[in-house]
Amino acid sequence: MSEPLLSVRGLRAKVDGEDGEILRGVDLDVQRGEVHALMGPNGSGKSTLAKVIAGHPAYEVTAGEILFEGEDVLELEPDERSRAGIFLAFQYPAEIPGVSIANFLRTAVNSRLAEGEEMDVFGFQRTLTEKMEMLKMDPGFAARYVNDGFSGGEKKRNEILQMAVLRPALGVLDETDSGLDIDALKIVASGVNRLSEADEALGVLLITHYKRILNYIRPDRVHVMMAGRIAESGGASLADKLEAEGYDWLHRAVAAV
Amino acid sequence: MSTMTAGPAESTLAAADFDALSGEVTEPETIAGARAAAWERFNALPWPTKKSEEWRYTDLAKVGFEALTPVVPAPATAEALSADVREVLGRSGERAGVVVLREGRVAHLELEPEVARSGVVLSSIRDAADRHPEVLKRALLEAQPGPAEEKLWSLHLALLGGGYFLYVPRGVEMPAPIHAFHIVERAGTLSSAHSFVYAESGARAAVIDEFLSDDLEAETVSLHGATITGEGGAGIEYVALQRFGRGVKRFSTQHVTAGRDSSVVTFNVALGGDLSRADVTSRLDGPGSDSEMLALWFGDSNQHFDHHTLQHHAAPHAHSDLLFKGALTDAGSSVFRGLIRVDKGAQLTDAYQTNRNLLLSESSHASALPNLEIEADDVRCSHGATIGQVEDGQLFYLMSRGLTRRQAERLLVFGFFDEVLGRLPMEGVRARVREAIEEKIGL
Ligand SMILES: Nc1ncnc2c1ncn2[C@@H]1O[C@H](COP(=O)(O)OP(=O)(O)O)[C@@H](O)[C@H]1O
Ligand SMILES: [Mg+2]
Repeated sequence: MSEPLLSVRGLRAKVDGEDGEILRGVDLDVQRGEVHALMGPNGSGKSTLAKVIAGHPAYEVTAGEILFEGEDVLELEPDERSRAGIFLAFQYPAEIPGVSIANFLRTAVNSRLAEGEEMDVFGFQRTLTEKMEMLKMDPGFAARYVNDGFSGGEKKRNEILQMAVLRPALGVLDETDSGLDIDALKIVASGVNRLSEADEALGVLLITHYKRILNYIRPDRVHVMMAGRIAESGGASLADKLEAEGYDWLHRAVAAV
Repeated sequence: MSTMTAGPAESTLAAADFDALSGEVTEPETIAGARAAAWERFNALPWPTKKSEEWRYTDLAKVGFEALTPVVPAPATAEALSADVREVLGRSGERAGVVVLREGRVAHLELEPEVARSGVVLSSIRDAADRHPEVLKRALLEAQPGPAEEKLWSLHLALLGGGYFLYVPRGVEMPAPIHAFHIVERAGTLSSAHSFVYAESGARAAVIDEFLSDDLEAETVSLHGATITGEGGAGIEYVALQRFGRGVKRFSTQHVTAGRDSSVVTFNVALGGDLSRADVTSRLDGPGSDSEMLALWFGDSNQHFDHHTLQHHAAPHAHSDLLFKGALTDAGSSVFRGLIRVDKGAQLTDAYQTNRNLLLSESSHASALPNLEIEADDVRCSHGATIGQVEDGQLFYLMSRGLTRRQAERLLVFGFFDEVLGRLPMEGVRARVREAIEEKIGL
């Protein structure tokens, strides 16, 4: 097999300056073009893994490595990881009053240009309009302040809009489905599918609580995180089993180790 | 008219006497008399020291006034617009007229013919002294500065002569602002200019004053005064956009008088210079008057910005709202000191004062001193100030989209400023101010 898009090996992490480990040895490979679902109970460390992959400064990695396209990214700043092609759709996106989505995304696109390279302003505008249409967003949306006063659903859609404009190699989607009604869920899911179709190498790590979104986005692999480790991995059918039986059987299995 | 005999062409402030100061300037008696009196007053007054509350954080002893060459503006000339001015005008919205001042001297003055036909007067201060002596005397020459302002105000008046006079008669509404450029070109000078804005009852006036210079090698001082008066029901929008180059120290004293049911917006933006001080007083003079006082500053390297304000409620039922926001990086520093004063008779006053500061670096420093002085008993007043840093969560969010730390911080500064910009009524003015801020902050 070729080198994975994302390779997490023996990853241990804790909150910077505190004691308890949150990630206690995570191993996970995502190949180009694959969709991986990461499930698991609340508090098991899914969001922490997502944020550590994106380079959140609140966490300290104590052991292990994160390779992205074969390169160790642990020493990279969050912005360098983003420009390298890692995208995190936040579970709780920050609100930035006073900064419009259009201005924000223009700056983000600009940050990817090489020194001296000029941005294609009309091209940007066209892309933005097109992606907003894809996500069935009102044209006025781009003028709104980033996440300021957004409903839960609007925030999630805004995350996918950013992913669509920035076109990363890897999308880590942290509970992008939660808080969405079924119509919004379908729009978001079809948006992600369209991105996968447009870029066959796109890798997706889809963190979710519920099997619901997996009816619309077919995972190649499903992993279950328990207490800071991947406790179980399998095919799409693992999600069905979790849906039917919950996590208890895994709790018992983990406890037995 | 009185014509001064020529004295030594150039002299320092320390060595200057009044005649020498005036050179060969020809000017109306009103102005000459006021200047002479102001010069006397200036010399009689001591310099304010750091011991006074008003000058605690800005040490005038560190400004080399004595060694500067004072400039009394020569008579107005009619020069073509220079390239730098044309460039800015080309990127600005509609305007009703243009004024260019060089070290206070009126170098260019134009008013749209249609606006002139509606009765609006735009002239140099000297011309106004001939044609509109009463209003000039009342609003400017006999104005009473606050005790802490008096020394610099006297110096400002002693050098008066240039500057512009805008008069909007009863019921006339200017369709667009006057765009005035205060340009300083000569390093080592002490120059002064005045912005005089008067709106009769029911009239609407708008002005954007833009202050600019190159980076100057020697210490250079630019004094500025603004007298902004709205009669009953008038509306005025006044913007001072300070983007001097390095080497310039700037002191601006602005007096707003809001008559019955009038509404005045002032907006000070400080971006350039080494030191920039503005003393802004709004006098709520008539019942139902409304004063909105806004300011933004962004300081880097070792720039120092100092804003002093007074919301003086002299009449009942008036409303004033102040919102000043500043962001600093490097070793930039700033001061905000504001006072809401409510006179005994000013019942049902509504007055607010907010100063917010954003520090982007360890060595930047902001001081905030909001204050109230209330003698009436039936009022609604609030004041508050904050000094904070950018939020980590916001910073990480922006950086996770590829923005460098610097870009993310600067974008957050924009977001922080937006609330204030949004309060400027005229879209064209807003766009010009936003552009100037963008240019300073960079992204
Ligand atoms: N920044 C943080 N500070 C303190 N505790 C944290 C922080 N981030 C995560 N944790 C803790 O780590 C555990 C895992 O959290 P999280 O990764 O959000 O779980 P999940 O996304 O699977 O619900 C929880 O107990 C949570 O309280
Ligand atoms: Mg989570």
